[in-house]
Order: sequence, then structure tokens, then C-alpha cells
Amino acid sequence: MTDIQQTVYVVEDDEAVRDSLELLLKSDGKAVKTYPSATDFLGDYSEDMAGCIVLDIRMPGMDGMELQKKLNARHSLLPIIFVTGHGDVPLAVDAMKEGAVDFIQKPYREEALLEKIESALEQDREQRKTLGERQEIVRRIKTLTPRETEIMERMIAGQANKVIAIELDISQRTVEIHRSRVMHKMGTHSLAHLVRMVLSVKDLIDVG
Amino acid sequence: MTDQASTEPTVLLVDDNAQNLKVLYETLKDRGYHLLIANDGEKALTLANRHNPEVILLDIMMPDLDGYQVCERLKADPATADSAVVFLSALDDVDAKLRGFSLGGADYISKPFQAQEVIARVGTHARVIRLERALQERNRELESDQTRILNAISEGIYGLDAQGDIAFANPAAAMISGCTVEELIGTNFFELHFRQPRPCSGALWQDDEAGTSESSPGLPVQATCSQGISEHQRNVTMYRADGSGFPAEYRATPKKEGDRLTGAVVVFRDITAELESEQALDDARDLVQEQRDQLAHASRMATMGEMAAGFAHEVNQPLTAITNYARVALRMLRAEEPDPELLSQTLEKIEAQSHRASEVVRRIRGFVRKPAMGKEVLSVTGLLNETRQFAEVDARNNDGGVEVRVADDVPDVLADPIQVQQVALNLIRNALESSRGAGSHEPVEVSASMVSDTMVRIEVRDHGEGLPDDAEQKLFLPFFTTKEEGMGIGLALCRSLIQAQGGEIGFECPAGPGAVFFFTLPVAPATANQGAE
Repeated sequence: MTDIQQTVYVVEDDEAVRDSLELLLKSDGKAVKTYPSATDFLGDYSEDMAGCIVLDIRMPGMDGMELQKKLNARHSLLPIIFVTGHGDVPLAVDAMKEGAVDFIQKPYREEALLEKIESALEQDREQRKTLGERQEIVRRIKTLTPRETEIMERMIAGQANKVIAIELDISQRTVEIHRSRVMHKMGTHSLAHLVRMVLSVKDLIDVG
Repeated sequence: MTDQASTEPTVLLVDDNAQNLKVLYETLKDRGYHLLIANDGEKALTLANRHNPEVILLDIMMPDLDGYQVCERLKADPATADSAVVFLSALDDVDAKLRGFSLGGADYISKPFQAQEVIARVGTHARVIRLERALQERNRELESDQTRILNAISEGIYGLDAQGDIAFANPAAAMISGCTVEELIGTNFFELHFRQPRPCSGALWQDDEAGTSESSPGLPVQATCSQGISEHQRNVTMYRADGSGFPAEYRATPKKEGDRLTGAVVVFRDITAELESEQALDDARDLVQEQRDQLAHASRMATMGEMAAGFAHEVNQPLTAITNYARVALRMLRAEEPDPELLSQTLEKIEAQSHRASEVVRRIRGFVRKPAMGKEVLSVTGLLNETRQFAEVDARNNDGGVEVRVADDVPDVLADPIQVQQVALNLIRNALESSRGAGSHEPVEVSASMVSDTMVRIEVRDHGEGLPDDAEQKLFLPFFTTKEEGMGIGLALCRSLIQAQGGEIGFECPAGPGAVFFFTLPVAPATANQGAE
């Protein structure tokens, strides 16, 4: 999962800046894809994209801020580095509030840009890894039977086996069997870990 | 005079013989005359002087003063000179008659006279003298009218003869020349006013020109005196009697008798004060021009200030690209096997971007240059495209951008490039702002076309907010603005700048949304060659 190919997506209307940035990043060994406008990028966008976006904040047509909002609406995880001109700092601050990872002012030093790109890619990797883990948890939860799911919810709520047995009107032994199946299917031995796992995917699945 | 005209003619009878006087008196009484009688020469002169008779019947043979002497003295005195003297004498010889006529006598009656002859001759002479006096009276009235006019005119007037000697001068001429009319008469015009030696008496100008001329050719009024050519010149230096000079304007008209040129009439005046006020006017005009140029310059600087962020961007783009390319080039050099082809491509890209940056700087420098360069022959397409590039610094925030369309038949114009660009930029920026305000995605359309053989019309159309209803009256007034941050100087200045090019500026409300602003510029003369470019 961490082996996934990361690409630097450059969205820049100025041909020379786009071309030079592409050459620069490629010479640094990055995979690069460039787009002359936000619309072009949006047309190409898919959830599978991994890497980061280097986005010019001011462009004719759809500008960088607008693209950011549209990507947010599509739950994009791609970190965005805004490239701003002189005097665009207030704009950049707004972009940061919307979740941009960083911004850099033109003309920039290569080291500074590459550093920001590296850290954006790292963040992307992290996010992607976390996302992978959470997706695994969801997958595991989905293997539980309805009865096992019910028992797990009560376990997480902190109910003792005895209480669960009385409330569900089953034997305490049956509860214990379900419980061990849940722990097995979820791949853990500790209740505390189970609670952490389930809470971490609360937003992805209707649990608890 | 009218008094006397309405009364009877006066006839003075002069004879030393009382009998003769009586007969004459009887002959002429009751015939409509006022009769006076004198029996010697002295009395006759006294009465003539006092009553100014039309006719004097004068006996020749008298003691003391005889008739000849009386006649002589009558004619010598202007007051009595015009009376008709009719000699009466028994001397009936030709010599006596001729002597009488030679002394100014009008007629001769021989004694013994016939009553009817006396009546007829006196009647005739009384009528003639009456008419003559009336005629002279009219002449005097006319002359005094003319004199009053000539005296009242503030221009100096000279009547010159063919040599330029002053035959007539009015009081204004004397005042301007700084001497009296009497001093002027007989003085040579060229000598006095142009310090040129008087041409030799009697020598014709033509002779002078043919031979060794003492007076320089082309001297004012000379052509009028010598060839009968009318002249008019302004700002000619003339000299006063005291030798000081003054700037003058004059008109010289030939004076002719029949076909013969007899001299010139010169009307002239001192234009010192006029030149001073003209100078003051010119100075004021220059000052206005200078202030307009300064305002225009200040306005251009302000525009550049407003566009500073845009320009920074315009320069930063190529600088960013240059930095990137330079890094790439360095990496290539450090590679184990540098690719010279790729490297030189990258260096060429760096060069192109440097030109791009310096082009932006050149454009800014050109725009803020001071003072304005003056009028030039300009290609409308070139001018508008350059301006569009400028405006696009702002247009980055507009979806529609700027479109330039110049009709094929539009010739070059004659105008100040910076000032016209300033106006065009101002209109385009307004249009972009208005489009932005209205959220329009339509481009700002800039077009040029011919409106007449001599004028090109440049139009800026937007699809933006349009104009307020009261824009008509106020739009071009200073300090009127529809913008919150505006000063209201832009359009007023634009109008002044376009008027300085000989064009007009205005606006129209199109059928759809938005506004149309236009200005006109004069076609450059003889653009056949440049226009093809």
C-alpha cells in the first residue's frame, strides 16, 4: 500500500512556469503531471490519485481557491501547496483555513519548494496509510454477524458479559463465544484496542 | 450760412458817382436782392468784408482806390475772394477788360449800361456764386467728417507719394511716431520708420532695383509704392521719431489716379500691447498644457500603482521560470553524461524568459515616461495590442479577457502614443472593472474603424454594469465618479488628452447590458506607405 506511485500535480496557467516546474521536478526524480487550468485538472481527477497538488492561486477562469473547494467537496485527500504572488498572503491564509498544507511565494527557491513538496507527499502517505488501516477495520467490521455486531457495540459501551447476557436474554456462555469471535475477527486481543479501532472509523460506518 | 441761403443774395454796388449808384440801385431794387452801396474803394472793402456779397458791381475809375485795386484786395482776402466781381466802366477797350479778368474779375459791363443786361448778368452771377458757396459748404462738411473719422481712428494712417514721402498723416500716426502731424508731412516714410535712406528724388523704385539700390529690397510698403501691390504684415519693427523701435502691424494699399500709381496709403498700429497679451495667452496655454501633461503623468503613475501587484506578477512569472530552468540546467551539468542538446534547449528557454521580463519592464518604463513625446504616426493595431497586453495584467481576474479587432481599412493615426495608450488603458480597465462587478464572462471588446476620411474611431465595449442614468451630464466632469475608491479624474483627463490630439471622446448606451466608450483620432497625413505596414 505504501508502494503506491505518488505524483506531483502541477496546476499552473503560465506555460513557462509550468514547463520549467515540470522539468525541475522531473530532474529531482518526481513523477509530474501538469495542467494548464483548474478545469483541466478537475476533469482528470479521481480518488485514486496519490501525491500532492502544486496549485497557482490566481488563474483566469477557475482559480486555485475555487478548485480547492471543489476538491474538498469530493473528499479529496491530496495535500495542496498554493503558489502565490506578491501580495497574495491574505488569500493564502484563507486557503490554509480551507485545509491547504502550505503556500509558497513566487519566485521561490528550489529547496524551499522541494521541501514543501516532500512534506506534502509524506503527509499524503500518512493519510493514505491511515486511510488504508481504517478501511481494513471497516472491512473487518463488515464480516461480523448482526448478533456479533450487537455484542461488540455493548462491549465497547463497557457492559459486562453478565449484563449483556441478561439484557439479550441469552446465556453468559453464548456471550463469551460471540465475544471471542468478535475479538478474533477484528484481529485483536485487547478490548482497549478494539475500542480505539471502532472509534477511529466512526465517521466511515454507523457504529455505536 | 443757412441763414444767408434762405435770404436774398447780396449785391454790392460800388461807384464814386452818386448818379450812377442811383441808376444801378433803381435798376436792381425789388428784384430779390439785398443791395449795398459804396461810393469809394475803402467803403466797398469794408462792406464786402462784413456782408460777403455774392456779386460786386465795381466801377473801375475811382479816386484813391480804383476798381482794379479794390478787386485785387478782395481776391487777396479769403473772406471776400469768392464774390463775383463785375467791373463797370466806360473804358471799353480790350486791355481794360483783360486786366479786369486777370485780377479775378468775373465779368465786365460797359457804360452806359443797359438795365436788362445788368439785371441778367447780376442774376446769373448771383446764382453761380450761390451754387458755388453751397458746394463749398458741402465739401467742407464732408472734409470735416473725414477729418473727424481720421482723427478718431486709433490706427496711424499715412498717404505716401511714390517715393514714400508722407503727404498725409492722421493724429494717431503722429502719436504712434512720437511727433506732430506737421513734422511728419514731407518726411520720408522709409527714412523715418525703417531708417532707410530716402530714394533719390525723382528716381523711380524700378530704377533703384535695376541699378545699385540704396534701399534694401523687400522693405515694407516698398512693393506697394513701386509696383502697386497691396501688403499686409504683422510684427514688423518700425522706428519712432526718437529712434526707438516698436512692433507694428500694417496694411499698405496702392493709391492710383486712373492707371497711374501715385503712392500708397498705409494703415499701421503699434502692437506691443497686443503681442504682450498674446504672449500672456500663449504662456497661459503652455501652463495649462504643462499642467495637463503633469496630471496625465501623475495619473499614469497612479495607474501603475494600482496595477503594481499585477506587474509584480508579470515579472515574477518569467523570474520563477528562469529560476526553475537554471536549477534544471545545473542538475543536467552535474549528471554523469550531460546532454548538451537538452542543456542548450533549457538555456534558450531561460533567455526567452529574460526577454519576457524585460519586455514588461520596458512597457512600464514607456508608460510612466515623462514628459510626453509628442505626436507620432501610429499603427492603431500596434497601439491597441500593446495596450491590451498592459490591461491583461488586470484582466487575469476577468473571465472574458480583452479582445482587439481592427478593421482592415483603418490607416495610421497621428497622436501622442503614451497619452492615447493612457486613455485606451483607462477605458479598458474601467470596462474590465465593470465586467468583473457584474460577474460577466463576456470579453471586453476593443475595436477600431473609420468614421470619416479623416477620423478613426476606437471603441471599448463591455457587458458589465452599464452607466447610471445621470451619467450623460456628469461622466466627463472632474471629480465625478461611480467608483468608491475613484477620484473622478480619469475620464475628465481622458477628454482633455483626446482633445489635445484633435479627437473627441464620448460614450453610448448599447442595446444590451454594459457600456460603450469611444474616442476618435485624426488620420495621419499621407499614410499610404506606413499604412501598408
